[in-house]
Amino acid sequence: MLVSGIKSKPVYAPLGADAGGRYHLLLGSGPGATPLLRVLAQLRSDVPDSLARSRVLFLPATDAGAAHAGAAHAGAAPADPGAATAAAAVTETFTAAGVPDVRSFVDSGALLAEFESLLGTSLMGLRLYVAGPESFIGLAMRIALQFNLNTDEIRAEECGSKARRVRCVHCRETTEGVRTNIVRCSGCRRWLLVRDHYSRRHAAYMGVMVDAEAPGQLPTVEEIFP
Amino acid sequence: MSDGGSLHVEVTTIEQLTPLIKHFTLRPVDRAPLPAFSGGSHVVVVMRGAHRVYRNPYSLLSPPFDRSAYQIAVRRMEDSRGGSHFMHDQVFVGSRLEIAHPVNLFPLDKIARKHVLIAGGIGITPFLAQLEDLHDGVIPYELHYAVRSPAHAAFADRLRALAADSVKFYHDSEAQEIDYDGLLSGQPLGTHVYVCGPAGMINRVIATARRWGWPDSHVHWEKFSAPPVGDAFEVFLARAKIGLRVLPDQSLLEAIEAAGVEVPYLCRGGVCGFCRTTVLEADGELLHHDHYLSDADKARGKSIMPCVSRAICKSLVLDL
Repeated sequence: MLVSGIKSKPVYAPLGADAGGRYHLLLGSGPGATPLLRVLAQLRSDVPDSLARSRVLFLPATDAGAAHAGAAHAGAAPADPGAATAAAAVTETFTAAGVPDVRSFVDSGALLAEFESLLGTSLMGLRLYVAGPESFIGLAMRIALQFNLNTDEIRAEECGSKARRVRCVHCRETTEGVRTNIVRCSGCRRWLLVRDHYSRRHAAYMGVMVDAEAPGQLPTVEEIFP
Repeated sequence: MSDGGSLHVEVTTIEQLTPLIKHFTLRPVDRAPLPAFSGGSHVVVVMRGAHRVYRNPYSLLSPPFDRSAYQIAVRRMEDSRGGSHFMHDQVFVGSRLEIAHPVNLFPLDKIARKHVLIAGGIGITPFLAQLEDLHDGVIPYELHYAVRSPAHAAFADRLRALAADSVKFYHDSEAQEIDYDGLLSGQPLGTHVYVCGPAGMINRVIATARRWGWPDSHVHWEKFSAPPVGDAFEVFLARAKIGLRVLPDQSLLEAIEAAGVEVPYLCRGGVCGFCRTTVLEADGELLHHDHYLSDADKARGKSIMPCVSRAICKSLVLDL
């Protein structure tokens, strides 16, 4: 039922350091810690002094916004005895990797707001690295796009949930954390088919009413974005 | 473009702007509106000399929304192969010229957050048209314009009128130099830099930008190479079955055209890649002078840009 081969669907690749950058901003969520540490290790060996010009913004656990999405990441953050403990552990890991400026967040909204304000004061020469679930990458990319960051300034690696943000073409509401091929729109309650059509500007996939011709007749609902 | 039909224009004014630069206004012979263009575009001017045809690219510097006339400026080149001397010495008010349709190989980035424009000498021309688009003030920009001395600062008055607060002049005669590091180390994210001027200036901007971590997609430059002179060499065009000789001060493209074979082109300066031609056989060395082919492509020797490149070969066979 899904149309495949849609070119707007983003494709991400494993992260590596870009030694050509002068400043390095690393954004991560949940299991994204591992790729980011890989980038830092490469920077340390290729351009040691660049670590002083690096910064990490990290969300140890996946937050309420992507709650259904993130259930599977238990291993990424310490078994949650409290957000403060998780934050301290993450900060320690990145600090040990040589980054002077590590900031930990408890929800993605706060992280992305900080990210946006940092870009507003950043200079040319910045490289952005994003690692985490697909919807987290998409939201970060949407902000980067507003600052005219091009593909040769951004690298992203997908790890964790493939749950989607789905934008309803009928009422324009966005439904978060969608794991199934068919979903009920959180705005207008229509049943939507989740397509591979992706909008970088909305950081969302397109959802189109699935039972318009035969109301109530739905194809089998399956979990296809684990 | 070689296949798009020419525009026929008449020179209506000529002004000596500086000791070396002449400014020409070109109006369509039939007075019909000229094609619209965007800032940064150039036209190839066809000059029919007594013994040969010159085709040189010149940036359009008139306001892009003015379709009644185009303006170009031509600097007399000391080591000219003839084109700039032709424009300076053999073109008068009333002369008719053929020009190709405008092509833009040096456009402003449409979603940039800021533009930094750097011009050296005659390299100011593409920016003049771009400033017409920029001076509405929506996107911040700055223009840095380096010239030999105040007398060589063509368009200084127009620049002051158009963008007084955003233009900075540098005069070699007063030992004023552009501080490239200062300029490129502190620009906000989303800035694009554009440079047009002598090769040394372009190379410095590219190297400095790279040193400060600018990605290639934010660094733009335009340099039309004049075809360099060299030793004469022989070429065989395989499909046309024509053998020909390229003279020392003739480009390979000009020699091919003189033999009646059409090669598509846009810039004639080694930039656009349009005239890329397949080399079937080369017994010797290809002298690549273009800025288009990658170093790997040049080393492979399977392609050549006949607008600026030459060869030292016993035999050279092209797929034409």
